[in-house]
Amino acid sequence: MKTSFVSSQGIADSVRSHLMRMQAEITKLEKEVVSGRVADSGLALGARTGQSVSLERDIDRLGGIVDSNALASSRLSATQSGLESLTELAQNFLKTMTAAVSDAVDPSISKSEAATLVTTMTGVLNSNLNGENLFAGVNTDVVPINDFFATGSPAQAAMANAFQTYFGFAYTDPAANTVDATQMGDFLTNVIEPQFMGADWTTNWSNATDETITARISLTESTSASVSANVDGVRQLAMAGATVAFFFGGNLNSDAQNAVLKFATSKAGEANANIALVASQTGIIEQRISDASDRLQKQIDIFKGKVSNLVEIDPYEASTRVSTLLSQIETAYTLTNRLRQLSLVNYL
Amino acid sequence: MSLSSALSIAQSALLNTSRQTTVVSRNLSEASNTDYSRRSAVLVSSDNGARVVSITRATNEVLFRQNLSALSSYSAQSTLTDGLDTLSVDVYGAEYSTSPATAIGQFQEALQTYSANPSNSNVAESTLEAARQVVNVLNAGSDAIQSFRSDTDRSILSAVGELNSLLADFKKVNDEVVAGTRVGRDVNDALDQRDGLLKKISEYLPVSAIQRSDNDLMLVTTSGATLFETVPREVTFTPSTGFSPGSTGNGIYVDGVPIAAGTGGNTSAGGKLSAMLQLRDTVSAGMQAQLDEIARGLITSFAEKDPSGVQPDAAGLFTWPGAPAVPAAGTLVDGLAQMISINAAFDSTKGGDPKLLRDGGANGAAYVSNTSGGAAYSDLLLGYAQRMEQPMAFDSAAGIQASISLSNYSTETISWFEGVRQDSSRAAESKSALLSRTQEALSNATGVNIDEEMTLMLDLEHTYQASARLMRTVDDMLASLLNALG
Repeated sequence: MKTSFVSSQGIADSVRSHLMRMQAEITKLEKEVVSGRVADSGLALGARTGQSVSLERDIDRLGGIVDSNALASSRLSATQSGLESLTELAQNFLKTMTAAVSDAVDPSISKSEAATLVTTMTGVLNSNLNGENLFAGVNTDVVPINDFFATGSPAQAAMANAFQTYFGFAYTDPAANTVDATQMGDFLTNVIEPQFMGADWTTNWSNATDETITARISLTESTSASVSANVDGVRQLAMAGATVAFFFGGNLNSDAQNAVLKFATSKAGEANANIALVASQTGIIEQRISDASDRLQKQIDIFKGKVSNLVEIDPYEASTRVSTLLSQIETAYTLTNRLRQLSLVNYL
Repeated sequence: MSLSSALSIAQSALLNTSRQTTVVSRNLSEASNTDYSRRSAVLVSSDNGARVVSITRATNEVLFRQNLSALSSYSAQSTLTDGLDTLSVDVYGAEYSTSPATAIGQFQEALQTYSANPSNSNVAESTLEAARQVVNVLNAGSDAIQSFRSDTDRSILSAVGELNSLLADFKKVNDEVVAGTRVGRDVNDALDQRDGLLKKISEYLPVSAIQRSDNDLMLVTTSGATLFETVPREVTFTPSTGFSPGSTGNGIYVDGVPIAAGTGGNTSAGGKLSAMLQLRDTVSAGMQAQLDEIARGLITSFAEKDPSGVQPDAAGLFTWPGAPAVPAAGTLVDGLAQMISINAAFDSTKGGDPKLLRDGGANGAAYVSNTSGGAAYSDLLLGYAQRMEQPMAFDSAAGIQASISLSNYSTETISWFEGVRQDSSRAAESKSALLSRTQEALSNATGVNIDEEMTLMLDLEHTYQASARLMRTVDDMLASLLNALG
């Protein structure tokens, strides 16, 4: 007759299998307590694992964009200070020229003022940051503005040729003395101005491209993040300086020189306004970048929170579970020992 | 009745007790053998006292059958879980460090840095390095999958061999049982052995045993194929010499009937053979198809476009043997993850120029985007980054929803895989619990309890003492009778 409900094997096995399960559990929990994350995120999250991988990847990527935004910001702030210098130059030049038009200032003074303007302006536009020429458009490995006063300067040659073609004699020729103010004004407006404002600008003066550097400032937003030396303000400022510096070196009479001065003054004024416009646009972009970085930073924080919700564990809960398990395992050991002693053999 | 008959009853009682003691001691010695079923001696009354008629073996058909089926399911599930764990580490690495998703994320980051410093040739080089990493991950991942398939194929071969030798053993033991039963011999030991073998066979295939006359057993797999009837039926399998993406391995046949591969994370498979087929053909093939689709997504996203729109798109940074053509949209190309490589035109170690990534033109002047040659031209780079984020059509044959961005697709593949692995691991836990429960129930029904056997032995001891006392009393009585006569 079978009277028992439990076999000796069954008793031993049940304790053993529970003990093994608890020991496996404790190695997992130890890992979780130390790392603060679930031991195996794939098993814990299952089909949501991709979400956690994607969030962690996005955190890194957004961080990368924040870093590259910092780079774009520093480029723009260097550009901004360059534009400030240009504005200052334009204003000072405007002041000097206005004075020269109304009072009889020695032409050589006006000439040297203009030469200084052109040289300083070239210096500002050719400044670079981390080896990138700031005002070169996308052509950042090339110096954007050619030196006007260099020997064989194409810009000087172009102006000299234009004069020769228009009047039939060179500007240094004694006959140049006969050019009157109306003729000179007409020449400047119809011949010299297109040289600066048109396609000749990139042949004679500038190596920059109109196209500017595009930067991706958030996952979805791109913006132009540089200023080219080909903007109207720069062309006009160069025109104002170069006409005075160049033609005052010739044989013009004072009326014609005055026409040059008036032309330069009006161009310097326009330059001033246009550069201010570019500066304000640059300021807006700087603001956009800094806003984008702030937004990205917030996004990173939110993503970190989400990742933490997905894979991080409560360390207190985990340690409590470890200690509970430890005491359970100890109980199991005691139990095993007691069960071993609990044999009829001991009482026979 | 006479004193001599009392004496002979006491004698047979002694004999019974000793036979019962043999059974008890056998039970005690086999207490920890899981295949052993408890024996008991059945006593029947007769004219000259009780007689041991037979030694019966404790059985419980229902529990035994439950145990067999739990064993099959658990064996299949744990095979699947182990296989998935191996695949997870081989293909995705610890913490997904070698997963395509992570490599693509790092590549996107490098691309972002490059687009912010387009003139910096070191950054161009490091972007290319990140691209190489993506290619390495895809190549290594698909190699790992294919070698996993070959390994599984070899395991199937050896498992089939083990199964056939188990069936041969089963025949020997079954023959012994049948022959012994016919002549009325004690076949309990052979029955124990046969049950043990049946348990082992269940680990490979789910079987149902049909009892026939003379204790003969016929084994049928759950799919209906005959595995054993008087003689074992052959289980056949031809291993494949090598595996390539898109190839299918050979099936396992029981008596000419193929075994179906399991499906799902909580696998429908019973027995490890079916689970191994599932690992070799379904899970691995799914992972491979997804890697292939990621490779196709990369080639397509980085294809060079003619800015004037005249020339067709041509393979750019990532290329394949079919270059310069771009793989057809939305169609899986088997083994693309194995074939994808970095275009030599971009690769500085092969005389290429990483700057082509910024400027375009690896496929000729018509594909140059940076026409002005500006060193800070970033539009093309930003375009590539943008394209990785735009939804594209993926072949639904790879098991993931069809229109999604490449970047998301790469993380979706992890979700797909981990979803299966989580299901499998949970199912393994519950199936293991069921197995230990049925094992416990079976052991409680048919196993030995030492304490019970000890109490039985006490009983036997008392019976023995009583019988001995009886003999002495009869002896005394006879002696006093003889004395009275003398």
